[in-house]
Amino acid sequence: MRLHALATHFMHVVEAVGSADDLALAMAAITAEIGFQYFALTHHVDIVAASGNAIRLHNYPAQWADYYDGNALGVSDPVHRASHVTSAGFCWSRMPFMIPLTAADQRMLALGRDQGIGDGFTVPANVPGEARGSCSFANQAGRPMPDTNLPLAQLAGNFAFEAARRLWSKRGHLPVPQPRVLTDRQRDCLLWVARGKGDWEIAIILGISEETVARHVRDACERYGVNKRTLLVIRALFDGTLTFTDLFRR
Amino acid sequence: MLHVLQSAARPASDAVLRAMFAARKSVFVDLLKWDVPVLDGAYEVDQFDDVHATYLILAGPDDTHLGSARLLPTTRPHILDSFYADLCEDAPPRDADIFEITRFCLDRRLCARERRQVRDTLVSALVDHALATGIAAYSAIAEMGWFQQILAFGWRCMPLGLPRVIDGTMLAALRIEITPETPSLLESGRATAAALRVDRRVAA
Repeated sequence: MRLHALATHFMHVVEAVGSADDLALAMAAITAEIGFQYFALTHHVDIVAASGNAIRLHNYPAQWADYYDGNALGVSDPVHRASHVTSAGFCWSRMPFMIPLTAADQRMLALGRDQGIGDGFTVPANVPGEARGSCSFANQAGRPMPDTNLPLAQLAGNFAFEAARRLWSKRGHLPVPQPRVLTDRQRDCLLWVARGKGDWEIAIILGISEETVARHVRDACERYGVNKRTLLVIRALFDGTLTFTDLFRR
Repeated sequence: MLHVLQSAARPASDAVLRAMFAARKSVFVDLLKWDVPVLDGAYEVDQFDDVHATYLILAGPDDTHLGSARLLPTTRPHILDSFYADLCEDAPPRDADIFEITRFCLDRRLCARERRQVRDTLVSALVDHALATGIAAYSAIAEMGWFQQILAFGWRCMPLGLPRVIDGTMLAALRIEITPETPSLLESGRATAAALRVDRRVAA
């Protein structure tokens, strides 16, 4: 298909699809057109926990999808992680050069191959302020990667994700995490926890008693509903209460 | 407030323009590491910053720079036809009613929420300017992450060719149609973004 025809088609898909079923049909056709068998459009969240509000549309084999959901891999899937380090599409075979793959990642990829999934191409989709997502195209093991069509797959992925955003936004809101607001002093203590200091050291640095430091950290944990300091630091970094710049600025 | 400036023949003479060129240096040279000329070590100014360029600049009180964009007439040499013609399947768009959006720049001092506000205001200003001056379409070049965001604004976009990796970055060229219905498409785009936003938290 000539690019112009395809571009017009993409625009039509974005503007005209009225339901997830329509989009799935259009995606199946585009996927075949560019030389792939399977597609998966998804927000990178735990799909089961997000209870249907997050984008998720695919034509993967059922047993693969079940394994994926059952293990809540939406957040730790290596394909998703790799798509957080680039904005350009990538072949799955390139992942070891993009992110460290753990033994579990290797097992997951091997399991995918057992289920018949071969190499794929993932287009990252990140709209600031929203959950990250991606559009992947994949083939059965043994089928060749349609290399010359990858630039088309890139465009198709970008437009498909936009079509999905517009559809899913009408389904109701994604769960919004309640903001956890720390006191300034709790945040001061947490900053030093994140920098690896113990209570005694923090007490000296801030000129308060060790017991007070411990209490501030305990209260901060309570506000986030966590019981470990590591989790507290991670959550505070995630929601912007702390930033990496804060941690490394001495 | 919004400034629409037509001529930059003497950039240093105007505080708003000067602040924009400094912000462009900060964003495109210091942050994004683009290999573009820098004037006096402080201002990013290139060969297209001439009397033919139009600037849309959002400035705060005291002329502080918030966001800006440069429009180049496509009937004269511009970036897509001068350097990136390969990004277009056919010849780059060239018409009296098509302008190229370049140097879309959001000030680095803005926080995430302010960036979104300034960005949305600037995008609306681009559409209003087009409708007021008879511009029917914009052309633009975008890195793929930015491309996805441009689609998300809600206006009507057409790829002009296939994306290509150029100097390590994947780029694509696109055409943005401007019609009387574009403002309402932007409204829908904002409603979509509001429904999908996950980082609504109390500002510190």
